[in-house]
Amino acid sequence: MGEVEKFFDRIISTDLLIVGSEGAGGHAAIEAHSHGTDVLIVTKGKIGQCGASQMAGVDFNVDGKTAKILGFDGDDRDSPERFFEDLVREGLYLNNQKMVEKYVEYAPKAMKDLMDWGMRIYGYDSVHTEEMARGITSAGTLWVAAIRKKVKELKIPMLEDTMLIDLLVSDGRIAGAVALSIKSGETVLIKCKAIILATGGWHRAYSFNTGSYDLSGDGIGVAYRAGVELISMEMVQFCPITMVWPPKDRGSIALYVLSCIDPFDKYIQLVNNKGERFMEEYDPINLEKSTKEIVSIASELEVENGRGGPHGGIFLSLKHLRTKFIDAIIRIANNRIKNELKDTRYEFITLIPELLEKCKTEDIEVGNAAHYMGGGIKVNENTETTIPGLFAAGECSGGLWGAVRVASACTEVGVQGIIAGGVAPKYVKKVEQAEINKNQVKEILDRINKPLMRDEGITPNELTKKIHEISGQKVGLIKEGILLKEAIGELEKIINNDLENLCITSTKSKELNDEWIKAIELRNILTCLYLSAKSSLIREESRGEFYRRDYTNTDHDNWLKTIVMKQKNGELDIKFEKPVVTKISLPKGKLTYQEAIGVATASLKRE
Amino acid sequence: MEEKKIIKVKCFRFDPHKDEKPYYDTFEVPISGKMSVQDCLVYIRENEDPSLAFFINCRLGFCKRCLIRVNGKSCFSCLTNVEEDITVEPLIKDKIIRDLWSKNS
Repeated sequence: MGEVEKFFDRIISTDLLIVGSEGAGGHAAIEAHSHGTDVLIVTKGKIGQCGASQMAGVDFNVDGKTAKILGFDGDDRDSPERFFEDLVREGLYLNNQKMVEKYVEYAPKAMKDLMDWGMRIYGYDSVHTEEMARGITSAGTLWVAAIRKKVKELKIPMLEDTMLIDLLVSDGRIAGAVALSIKSGETVLIKCKAIILATGGWHRAYSFNTGSYDLSGDGIGVAYRAGVELISMEMVQFCPITMVWPPKDRGSIALYVLSCIDPFDKYIQLVNNKGERFMEEYDPINLEKSTKEIVSIASELEVENGRGGPHGGIFLSLKHLRTKFIDAIIRIANNRIKNELKDTRYEFITLIPELLEKCKTEDIEVGNAAHYMGGGIKVNENTETTIPGLFAAGECSGGLWGAVRVASACTEVGVQGIIAGGVAPKYVKKVEQAEINKNQVKEILDRINKPLMRDEGITPNELTKKIHEISGQKVGLIKEGILLKEAIGELEKIINNDLENLCITSTKSKELNDEWIKAIELRNILTCLYLSAKSSLIREESRGEFYRRDYTNTDHDNWLKTIVMKQKNGELDIKFEKPVVTKISLPKGKLTYQEAIGVATASLKRE
Repeated sequence: MEEKKIIKVKCFRFDPHKDEKPYYDTFEVPISGKMSVQDCLVYIRENEDPSLAFFINCRLGFCKRCLIRVNGKSCFSCLTNVEEDITVEPLIKDKIIRDLWSKNS
């Protein structure tokens, strides 16, 4: 056994390591396997039962013309070109247009793969856009089940319940990774030529979020530590009408989904604690059907001004309807969900009817939860990062969406999974396994073991509470320079002191030690949140999902540029890059925030 | 505001490396609003005993991995409401890694 190997409980060699097993990672693994590549999947949970994909609504996008070729009704008025234009316009021109082109080009293949693997489809619908039918609907659980079935059928090797700890980089390229088995506490050395990161978002930086428990920005954190460039970290999407209360339903977007579907969208009203339908003040024309951004900001302003509910939300109300009418709505919902779609998901077959029933006598407290991370690891249209041998696909990557994600993230992850699963095998064939740096390995293992060895310090639970206070109060939906500055100062203190002083005292067992896993995750969560706050302070404008109270214009003249960050010699290095343009040239001028997102009728001032 | 109520959660505990045999710990959990068994376990882990091992992922019935035994009956911990005192045990009591998580989970 070599010098490096002796530090580990387990050693595995593969050509291509894929971290993540769901919409992006699973799809990438199947694609890479089809190129004859030796693949290993490392996933934090069990395939088909972890990450964000399982929880998706779910819809996929294919332009209306190509959808016809796939056998759907489609829409003759549509075309790939038109879809491309919509995506760039909706992203407010901050998108990498080469990535958008690939999204449109590969969307049908991503869809066809899933159909070939037996994913049941609900229908073809007008999703995300009023004008054009582009959405193929299904369920997140059906999606991940199809991927799981295919991965198992192909017998692709997998390490489940295993967490990525760090990347190993030698001579500026990928040499492997260090991982940890959550169940056994065993350390794993994975020697490989290339890695595809498909680790999803960093929802856990926010106490109120719509993601699963495992989304702690691990891929973004490890990439940053390895000196990889990140992009658009300030772009965080918050989902309105997310359940705030009671605790059991907290984080569910079931009512938001319902509020987007005809005919339910006609009846849902949002009210404040005085029972006022507050959207009348903010967007009297579109009301609750205004954009996600406007509804979110309006809700937040109501809460800020003391008109919110006891748990920090506003209310969804059906009190304007008669009980018999609500009964009819429940019947329609049940009929569609249970009988037509044969959906089996708890949120849809149990929670929605329960909540509608409750609406007969009371309003439901809902609010804005951290939902989708628009920024992440900077990649090009081929999913290549700035380190040779490192690729990123899905939500952990950044650049595709620009300043707003309207279209389907489920299509994004499949598209990028396919691209990464095609490009990485070619890279693997060209290179030899790089030598692993012993000092780097030692440093990583020492670092993760330290909290277990300390008997005094701050516990992961205490630190998590501190971080959630900062993210909730200062790096939330409505941003403001003064608060961002405070957050940055506080997060710097935490990173320099608390993070290096974490201690685990309740048990020193390495098996299923939640505190230990949290301690490791916190480093990644803090990296993401800190960089997001920094990036938010730098962007002195408002654009799409990014709203600064102190800079409310969308400023095409000065801010049609992305913020790119990386670690260089232990310091944060920041630069600006113009978005990659292929077909649509960047506009000029200054618009109000509302004009830029196409709801010029909305006013975000009240009080 | 919602009324608060304190319930007792009696929890199966076992660390095969340390304990000769399983035992039970009882924790008091304040119930405020509709809470699931999993919400109670999270409360215990965040406020009483961070070493408690149990499964949590999607919190809303998607992942179907948090099978557990509550008052002797198998159920998903995130989908099961709590109103009274409960006893929480792993689905299968052999092959326990720690506490409420067995090797088959």
